[in-house]
Amino acid sequence: MKYTQIERAVQERMRPGHITALGLLGDDQRPVADIMQADSEAFSRLGMDFDQVADLLEHLRSAGQDGLGEPITVDNRYLVSTGDARGVLPCPWNDGVHHKNAITVQDQRSGRTIIYSDLSIHLLRVHHFCQGKGSPFRLDPDTLAAIL
Amino acid sequence: MIDFLYGPLITAGLAAGLALVIVVLDAIVNNYGDVKIDINEGQRSYTVRGGANLLGTMAAEGVFVPSACGGRGSCGACKVRVLSDVGPHLPTELPYLSAEEVTQNVRLACQIKLKKDIAIELAEELFSVKKFQSTVSSIKTITHDIKEAVFRLDNPGEIEFMAGQYVQLVVPPYGTFKESVQRAYSMSSKPGDRQAVELLIRLVPGGIATTWVHQFLKEGDRVELVGPFGEFHVRDTTAAMVCVAGGSGMAPFKSMFYDILQNSSYPEKEIWYFFGARSGRDMFYLDELRQLETLLPRFHFVPALSEPSSDDKWTGETGLITDVLERFLKERIGTAKGLEGYLCGSPGMINACTTVMTRNGINLEKIYYDKFA
Repeated sequence: MKYTQIERAVQERMRPGHITALGLLGDDQRPVADIMQADSEAFSRLGMDFDQVADLLEHLRSAGQDGLGEPITVDNRYLVSTGDARGVLPCPWNDGVHHKNAITVQDQRSGRTIIYSDLSIHLLRVHHFCQGKGSPFRLDPDTLAAIL
Repeated sequence: MIDFLYGPLITAGLAAGLALVIVVLDAIVNNYGDVKIDINEGQRSYTVRGGANLLGTMAAEGVFVPSACGGRGSCGACKVRVLSDVGPHLPTELPYLSAEEVTQNVRLACQIKLKKDIAIELAEELFSVKKFQSTVSSIKTITHDIKEAVFRLDNPGEIEFMAGQYVQLVVPPYGTFKESVQRAYSMSSKPGDRQAVELLIRLVPGGIATTWVHQFLKEGDRVELVGPFGEFHVRDTTAAMVCVAGGSGMAPFKSMFYDILQNSSYPEKEIWYFFGARSGRDMFYLDELRQLETLLPRFHFVPALSEPSSDDKWTGETGLITDVLERFLKERIGTAKGLEGYLCGSPGMINACTTVMTRNGINLEKIYYDKFA
């Protein structure tokens, strides 16, 4: 498969040690475009909309911040913890920077957990990129469907 | 017979020749020779080999500027004001700098390549920062997500610091991580215990440093620490201290309170300590701090749970720590000698507590904290 120059640069910036020490691809060997296509198909299959999911993740982040750094129950269903780190993370598509943080949402109904950041929300909303399989910050469509 | 080898041999020869040319050109073009680093207009001066970044070069000379990412340009912590011309700000620096910092030519030390003499401004406290080789002497599980780790200092063997300051833990490459990173943690040990440093480290899901501490670090491991850093310390006044923390934000306060007890210092200071947690499993050091109340009668400990479970059988304060703080500021804490705020926690917690404190008569300039994020 041939990559464009932009795709090559984006894929490179997603590798460990560029934007984050872990990278955004996990152990996923597929090209970014293939990951995005597969996840977009999964979103369609599950009847989910990227903007709506991003809105929900933002809602959980905002409500979680009321816990002042401690876990807090949100909507009588989710246990949300928010943590902040020093600095910002640039988007691999070079269209902005985002506060470095980690939001952990544990769904007390299904027992499933997702971890995401401000950058994750941007990647989902703007680029429809859920991160590669094995990335701790991956927003797996099936998990999102079960949780949200 | 061997004609088929000519092609590959010629190609290999050309490639080797080209590589040689690149090496020679690189040595010529990128040879910046010796450059001079002037700090604080002659206060200190170093002549170093040019070509590397300012952050790493200064560290090699024993001058340590705080950095959380180890020089990868992703934390924005290593700010220095540059007094000489080093060219325009790089796109990699600008996201971390305010308009005022750009005007004052504040730069990220990790992004400045030393090509010629440079003059910079540095806080004097940074001259006392050292890199310590240490050995992990104990790791205790304090709660389900907090570890208490003690590092015995090997070289240098002692550290001088003020209660409330922090060190940077140097996390070596481990597992799939190929690069070393540094993370800041407040010291929970007393300044009087100079041969060791104690840290409280809360697990952050997906966090490089905290995962290393919680899952990989073990007693006997050799670890590097850099410090001390920070402006968070007890002010020598008679005003009452109103302290608020949650989680591993306990660390600097533990150091402060036991230091005050050990030295009988600030005898006129009343101390109020508000500690917030969600439920009983997140609460810790309760017995120690209750004991401290008996040893130091002017110390008042107010733990609070925001979502206690029935199993907790909690009889103490409940609600968000800001609500508890507001209630005590209105009803219990005397203001005769004035009040000072001391905070350690997330930016959200610091902002929320600052709002409550200023609404209840604590001047903004008397609210102290170290911003870690």
